[in-house]
Amino acid sequence: MTSIHVTDLTKEYGGKRAVDRLTFTVEPGRVTGFLGPNGAGKSTTMRLVLGLDRPASGTATVGGRAYTALDEPLRTVGALLDAQAAHASRTARDHLRALAVSNRIPARRVDEVLEETGLASAARRRVRVFSLGMRQRLGIAAALLGDPAVLLLDEPSNGLDPEGIVWIRELLRRLAGEGRTVLVSSHLMNETATFADHLVVLGRGRLLADVPMRDFIDAHSHARVRVRTGDPVLLRAALARQGYAVADGADGDGRWLVEGATAEQVGAVAAREGVPVFELADERASLEQAYLALTTDAGAAEFAAAPRTTPTREV
Amino acid sequence: MSPTAVLHSEWIKIRSVRSSFGALLAVFAVALVFNVLLYATVGGPEPDGAGDPVADALFQITFAQIAAIAFGATAVSSEYVHGAVRNSLAAVPHRSLFFAAKTAVVAVAALGTGLVTAFVTFFSGQAFAGEHAIGLGEPGALRACVGAGLYLALIALFAAGLTFLLRSAVAVMSLLIPFLLMVSFVVGDVSAGVADYLPDRAGRQILHQDPVGALGPWAGLGVTALWAVAALLAGWWAVTRRDA
Repeated sequence: MTSIHVTDLTKEYGGKRAVDRLTFTVEPGRVTGFLGPNGAGKSTTMRLVLGLDRPASGTATVGGRAYTALDEPLRTVGALLDAQAAHASRTARDHLRALAVSNRIPARRVDEVLEETGLASAARRRVRVFSLGMRQRLGIAAALLGDPAVLLLDEPSNGLDPEGIVWIRELLRRLAGEGRTVLVSSHLMNETATFADHLVVLGRGRLLADVPMRDFIDAHSHARVRVRTGDPVLLRAALARQGYAVADGADGDGRWLVEGATAEQVGAVAAREGVPVFELADERASLEQAYLALTTDAGAAEFAAAPRTTPTREV
Repeated sequence: MSPTAVLHSEWIKIRSVRSSFGALLAVFAVALVFNVLLYATVGGPEPDGAGDPVADALFQITFAQIAAIAFGATAVSSEYVHGAVRNSLAAVPHRSLFFAAKTAVVAVAALGTGLVTAFVTFFSGQAFAGEHAIGLGEPGALRACVGAGLYLALIALFAAGLTFLLRSAVAVMSLLIPFLLMVSFVVGDVSAGVADYLPDRAGRQILHQDPVGALGPWAGLGVTALWAVAALLAGWWAVTRRDA
């Protein structure tokens, strides 16, 4: 299988650890979101996997082999590291052609990926005139060139317009659905929540989490239920007896929020008391809330803004 | 990895970047324009025919070498703009192969262009030289034309090797061009001996009919080759050892 295995990986730049004894696995058939604050080591890890930087210790393998040992690696691994990396004075087509030829990828693939990424009409224009979104699409086209089983994409939705964001989401889902291994870094939580199945979270070069996205959100958010009932007095009393705190919802539309309970628990209480329930749902935290809960706890953000203090003035 | 495929890829890269392909064409264009202007207007560098007729006929190589430096430098530096080399090394992770392929393409392109430049401009000038015109039968003329092509290729490789090391065409060109145009000129007059072993002066011995100085024509070109090899070794070391 073509999984990515990162084992005990460490990288230092000038004595500072960018990646610190990192171990995780990226499995095929699902989209793995690669999260972490700026400077957490996501891009460094990707460069180490691609053999562009050398680790101080530890290993990174793709399908059990070091990337640098792969023959014609673009046929196994496609990567988007930096959308600016295409030379500005080349045409999109020449950029892809040079990459394809080096790995003996047939020329028709160049036209196919240009078509697939919506760049066919811009193929003969120089990259200089491309918008950021078009460069991003060109980077994705390059990653798809060798029809690879493994994809590493660093911030692929950067600079894409709303239509492009929907496109990349569907592309990632499709690639994972075809059984490919897909690792996607992002700092946009709500965006990541729409395509990721699994999460690997870094903070200061260390692994903070390697879990399915659902579990991650559950683990880092507390249970809360939204309920609307025909007999508020009875249900409120019943819930209070069970020790649940009940608060009126913010909208004042008769919905309550029950803290520390699940829909199953509240439903059971209501059934026992014979109270009619019109609406009952778990309030799930968003990925963003869960992520912030984790990274704040771990003190992971290296470049967080300092809390605002009110300046005091002597009069 | 197939070396042929990597060579082809490197050729596409050079061909598709305006600055490097333009510099390659400029080697020929600069030499031709300079040579024709010089001969058509004043009849050559030394119109009375008093100087070394072979060196006069190839005087334009001094100017073509600036374009050769620009070609060698930009062919390599295009990899170091916005980290393009990461794409290249992700495609060809075997770094020595990547380095060798790019170097080989620079060498072949510069040598081909250099030889064409040397022979074409040799004749283009002589067409205007009237009674002083020489042919390839002139002693040292054929050697000088072949040598000029080799010299331009070696200078391009010298620049390419330094650019692998310094990763910037601007740095390499602002180092080499003043060096070749001025330092070597000035130092050359002051101290013969050491100056004979400078990369450009040593190599240009072969452009003369009867070279004076410590080095003969081929030995001089050999010294330039050593400079190029040293620069390329430094560049190879940088490519294989550094993080991309």
